[in-house]
Amino acid sequence: MSTALQFYLATALVYFGVDLIACWAFNMQLRAGVLNFAFIVFQAAGAYTQAVLTLGPQTNNSGYQSYVFGNELPFPIPMVIAMAVGAAIALPVGWLVLRRLDRDLHGLTFIVVSLIATRLVEIQVNWFNGPTGLSLIPQPLSGTVLANVAPQDYSWLYVAFTGVICVAVYYVVHRITSSPLGRTLRSLDDNEPAAAALGKAVTANKVMIFVVGGALGALSGAVLVAFIGAWAPSGWLYSETFVLAAAIIIGGRGNNLGVLIGAALVPVGFFEGTRFLPAFGPPGLIDAIQWMAIGLLFLVFLWFRPIGILPERRRIFPPPGSAPKTSRWRALRWGIGSAPRLAVASAGAAPAASAPRWPAGQAASSGRLSDAPSASRTGRVASVVEAVALLSVTNLRRGFGGVQAVDDVSFEVPAGQTIGLIGPNGAGKSTVVSLIAGALKPDSGTIRLKGHEIAGKAPHVIARQGLVRTFQLSSQFSSLTVMENLLTAVPGQRGDTLSGALFSARRWRHQERDSVARAWELLRRFEMVPKASEYAGNLSGGQRRLVEVMRALMAEPQLLLLDEPMAGVSPVLAEQIEAHLATLQAEGLAMLIVEHELGVIDRLCQSVVVMAEGKVIAQGPMATIRRSQEVVDAYIGA
Amino acid sequence: MSLFVTSIAFGVITASVLAIGAVGFTLQAGVTNIVNFAYGSTMTACALIAWVANQAGLNLWLALVLAALFGAVFTALLNRLIYVPFSRRGTGVVSMIYVTIGAGLILEYALEAIWGPHYFTYLQSNGASFHVLSATFTTSQVAILAIAVATMVSVHLLLTRTQLGTAMRATAANRNLARNCGINTERVVDIAWALSGALCGIAGVVLAVNTFAFTYTLGEGFVVIIFAAAVLGGLGQPYGAMAGALIVGVVSEAAAGLTQPEYKDVIAFAILILVLLVRPHGVFSELSGRRGVVR
Amino acid sequence: MPTSAPDDRPGPPLLEVRGLTAGYGRVPAIFDVGVEVAAGEVVAVVGPNGAGKSTLLKAVAGLLPAMAGSIRFGGRDVTGRASFHLARAGLGYVPQLDDVFDPLTVAENLRMGGYSLDRQELTRRVEEVVAVFPQISGLLGRTARKLSGGERKMVAVGRALMLRPKVLLLDEPTANLSPMLASALLAEHVRRLADSGVAVLLVEQRAMAALRIADQAVVMVSGRVSLSAPAAELAGRSDLGELFLKGAQSIQPAERAPS
Repeated sequence: MSTALQFYLATALVYFGVDLIACWAFNMQLRAGVLNFAFIVFQAAGAYTQAVLTLGPQTNNSGYQSYVFGNELPFPIPMVIAMAVGAAIALPVGWLVLRRLDRDLHGLTFIVVSLIATRLVEIQVNWFNGPTGLSLIPQPLSGTVLANVAPQDYSWLYVAFTGVICVAVYYVVHRITSSPLGRTLRSLDDNEPAAAALGKAVTANKVMIFVVGGALGALSGAVLVAFIGAWAPSGWLYSETFVLAAAIIIGGRGNNLGVLIGAALVPVGFFEGTRFLPAFGPPGLIDAIQWMAIGLLFLVFLWFRPIGILPERRRIFPPPGSAPKTSRWRALRWGIGSAPRLAVASAGAAPAASAPRWPAGQAASSGRLSDAPSASRTGRVASVVEAVALLSVTNLRRGFGGVQAVDDVSFEVPAGQTIGLIGPNGAGKSTVVSLIAGALKPDSGTIRLKGHEIAGKAPHVIARQGLVRTFQLSSQFSSLTVMENLLTAVPGQRGDTLSGALFSARRWRHQERDSVARAWELLRRFEMVPKASEYAGNLSGGQRRLVEVMRALMAEPQLLLLDEPMAGVSPVLAEQIEAHLATLQAEGLAMLIVEHELGVIDRLCQSVVVMAEGKVIAQGPMATIRRSQEVVDAYIGA
Repeated sequence: MSLFVTSIAFGVITASVLAIGAVGFTLQAGVTNIVNFAYGSTMTACALIAWVANQAGLNLWLALVLAALFGAVFTALLNRLIYVPFSRRGTGVVSMIYVTIGAGLILEYALEAIWGPHYFTYLQSNGASFHVLSATFTTSQVAILAIAVATMVSVHLLLTRTQLGTAMRATAANRNLARNCGINTERVVDIAWALSGALCGIAGVVLAVNTFAFTYTLGEGFVVIIFAAAVLGGLGQPYGAMAGALIVGVVSEAAAGLTQPEYKDVIAFAILILVLLVRPHGVFSELSGRRGVVR
Repeated sequence: MPTSAPDDRPGPPLLEVRGLTAGYGRVPAIFDVGVEVAAGEVVAVVGPNGAGKSTLLKAVAGLLPAMAGSIRFGGRDVTGRASFHLARAGLGYVPQLDDVFDPLTVAENLRMGGYSLDRQELTRRVEEVVAVFPQISGLLGRTARKLSGGERKMVAVGRALMLRPKVLLLDEPTANLSPMLASALLAEHVRRLADSGVAVLLVEQRAMAALRIADQAVVMVSGRVSLSAPAAELAGRSDLGELFLKGAQSIQPAERAPS
C-alpha cells in the first residue's frame, strides 16, 4: 500500500472516529429534547484549546500567529483541559437558554449562538489569527517519545488512539443512555410536564446533558486538531452541525449503532469517499453535487424511513420468576412483537413487590397496614399522626385577565381519605389542580402538604414531597414502553443521577430489579401484562389511562391527585379503574379526585367539595350535597 | 456625528431589504406554521434569474418583476409539492425543519452547480447621488427604499382592504373557523405562499443590488437575519416583521457604526437572543394563539 | 333509539343524522347517534360533561370524519363533505371556544362570515346582521379580542348568520355568559331565529334554560343518545337529575317545582 494511500486511510479513520464521538454526543442531547445546533462551537472550542496549549507561547513561532494562553503542555493534559473548556462554555449558555426557551426556540437560538461565535472568531484577529486560523500545531508526543517514529506509523498509532477514545466515549454514552438517567432523559424528550410531575428536575437535567455533550464535543475537536495540525474558522461553520444531524437522521436517532452507521455513511463515506471520483466539470461542481445529495438524502429518508436505518432498540425487562441471565435473549425474542407467555410465571412474583408502601394515615382499612414499613425503601418516613390534614388549601386565589378563576377556595384532604372535587364546566377545578400540583402559581393563599408550604413551588419539587398527579389529557411517554413508563416513576433511583449512571451500575441494577418486580405486580393487577413491552404511544385511550394510573402508583405517592381519570374511558374500563381505586383506598392511600362521573364520586369519596364559578359552594358528605338546591341548580343550569 | 447619521441611513436601507424578506417569511410561518429555511436559497435563485434577464438586456427593475413572478410560482409549488405532503403525513415540527433545510440545500447547491461559485453583478447605470443630511445615497439605494415602501403599503392594503387578504389573516388566526365561513383555506394558503414567494424574489434582487457583487451563498446567511427580524416582531405577524426589520436594520448598523463595522451581524444576533430570552414570543406578538415559533 | 312520534314534529327534517359514530384520531367519542331537526325547530342536546355533545356538532359541521353513519342536509347526503362546502351550502356553526377571529375587527369578522357573497350583497347582509344584534353596531371597528364575553358571542353568532344558514349548530353559546345574558341570548335570539325558519341544533350545559326555548330535546350520556323527547316533557320530569348524571344515586333536591 502506497504511503499516500495509507495516509489517506488513516486520516479518513481519524475523521470517522471524531465524527462518531460528535454524533454520539449530539444524539444523546437530541434524545433528551435538546436541539443543540451550536454543537460545532464546542468542537471548535476544544480544538482551539488543544491548539494553543500545544503551540507554546507566541514567541515560539516568531509571533506570526496570534492567539491567547500559549503554552506547551504534555499530552494528554491539553485534551483534558479542552473537555473542561467545553463544559465551562456549555454551563452558562445552556443554563440561560434551556431555562427559558422550549425546543423550537432553543434550537433557533443555538444556531444564532454558533453564528455569533463564528463571526466573533473572524473579528477577533488577536485571539484567533483571523480567517487563516492556526497551523503547525504539533502532534501529541511527536517531539518527545514518538519523535523517531515514521510519519505513516505515527498515523496508525494515532488511529489506534482515536479508537481507544471512541471506546471510552461509547462507554460513557452507553452507561448514560442505558441507565435510569437515560430513561429520564428520553421522558423529557416526550413530555416535560409529565416528567416534572414525577419528580424529574427538567431544566437541571437538560443543562447537565448539555454540559456533558459539550465536553465530549470539545474532546472530539481536540482529537481532530491534534492530528491534522491546523485550525481554521471555516471548518467550524454552523452548517457542519447539519451534517451531524443528517448522519443521525439517516442512521437512526436513539440507536447508538445506527448513529455509527450514519456517521460512517454521511460525513465519512459521503464526503471523503467522493474524493476518489475523478474530478469533472468546473471547480466546485462536485462539492455542489455532494451538498445537493445531502439535501436529497434528508428528504428521502424523512419520507420513506423517518426512523432511520436502525430504529431505537426496544428495551425489554423480563418478569421475575423467569430463569436467570441466559434467558434474557429469549425474553428479547419474545418481547419484540409477540405477547410473552409469562402471565402465569409472574404470579409467583417476589413477595417484596406485593405490599404497596403507602405511608399510613388513618384509614378504615384492614390489617394490611401492619405491613406498611415505617421507613419505605425510598427513605420516606410514614407520618402516622392522628387525623391530620395531609393536604390543606386555604384562601386560594388565582385570576386570568379580569376573570377570577379560583376565588377564595379552601378545603382539606385528611390522611387516608378520598375527597372529590366536582362542579360544572368552567368552575375552576382544573385551575385548582394546576395550582396544587405547581403548574401555576397562586395569586394568594396557602397550600400545605404534610404541614409544609408548597404553593408556588416547582412541579418536580412538589412531586418529590409525595404529591403525584395524573393529567386530564393523556400524558404517557409515547416512545417508551409501558414498563419503562412505570419505571420512570420510581422515586430515588440511584441510576437517575450522572454519577450513579456512570459509576454505580451494579447498585442501580440491583435496585431496578426490585422496581421491575413491583411494576410486574402492578401490571398483573391492572391486567396489562401483555402490553408491558408495547410502546405507550400505540395504546388505546383507555389503556393509556391505565398506564397513567399505574405510573402514578409506582411513584409511591402519599397523596394521589387524579384529574378526571374517567374522561374518555369506556364504561367497562371505568368500572375496572374504579375497582382499583377502591382497593387503593382500602390500603390507606389519600386521594383527591376531580371527576364528572358523579356515581364514581359517590361511591369512592368520604367527602365532596363542590365548586362553581371559582368558588366553593358546598362541602361535605355526598348525602348532604345531594340535598342542596344550590348544587342542583349549578349543575342543571336553571 | 456624521458617521452616526450615515450608519442610520445605511440602517434604513438594510431595514428596507430586511422588511421585504421578513414579511414574506413571516407570512409563510403565520399561515402554515412552517419555518421555511429554503427561503434564503429562493432569494438567491430569484436574484440569479434577474441577473440572467439583466444580462440579456432587460432593464434591472423589470428583471426584478420577472424574478418576483418566478419566486411566486416556485414557492407555491415548493409548498404544494413538498411541504404539504410531509405535513399531511404528520411530520413533526423538528423534522419539518429538516425538510425545509434539505430543500434549501438542494436549491442552493443546484444554483452553484449551474452557475458556478462566481460573483455576479447587475448592469446598472450609475445614477445621480442624493444627499440627505450628511448621508449620501445612490440611485439604487433610493430605489430600494421606494420599492420597500411600495411593497409594504401594498401588503398592508391587501391584508386590510381586500377580502382575500383578510381571509389570509383569518386563516392564520383560526383555520377551522375560516372553513366554517365557507373559505377554501387550501386555496388561500396557496395564494399566501405565492405572495410570500413574490416578496422573497423582490427581497433577493434588492439584496443583490445592495450587495453589489453576489454569489450563490447570498441568501444563505441573510435568511438568519430575516428570521431574527421576523421572530423579533412575533412570528406570523406581518406588521411585527416590518417593525422587527426596522429595529434590527437600524440598531445593528448604528451600533456597528459606533463600535466596529464587523460587529454588525453579531449585534443583530445578540438583539435577537436578548429578545428571545426576555419575551419568547417576540416584542410585538399578540399573545392570543401563543405564537412563538411553530406551535 | 327512542324517537318521538312523527306527527308532533313541524315538517320534514332539514338535518338528519343517523347512526353517527365519530371521534378524534382512531378513538370514537360518540356512538350510533341519531337526531333530526326540522325548519323552525330548536332541538336541544343536553347531558353531562364528556357526553360527546361537542363532538356531535363538530362531526356534523364537517370538522371530524364520520367513522360510521350518515348525515343528510336538505335531503342530500353530505357525509364526509368538506366543512367549507357545507358552510356555503347553508350549514352554520358556532363553536364554543375560538368562535371569533381574535386579531380581526368585528366588521372583518362579519365580512369573513360572508366571504362567498359579492360586495353589494355583503354590505347589505352586514347591515342586516347588525340589525339583529344592535349592541354591536358601535363596535364594528373594535378588535374581536377586546370584546366582552357577551359581545363576543353576539359577533360569533352574527358571523354564522351572514350566509343565511338553513341549519345552525350552536355549541354551548351561553358558556361564560351571565345568567341574564344567557337567557336573553336563548330566548330572544335563538328562539327568534328558529321562528324565522332556521333549524337550530343547540348544545347546552344549562339544560333547564335550553329546554325552556326548545321544541325537542335529546339527552346524551357517555357518547350515546339515552333519550329523545319533546322539550316540555323532559323539563317537567322530576328525575331529570338522574337522567343526567350517571350512577346509582342522583342529585335530587327535597322539592322541585317543574319549570
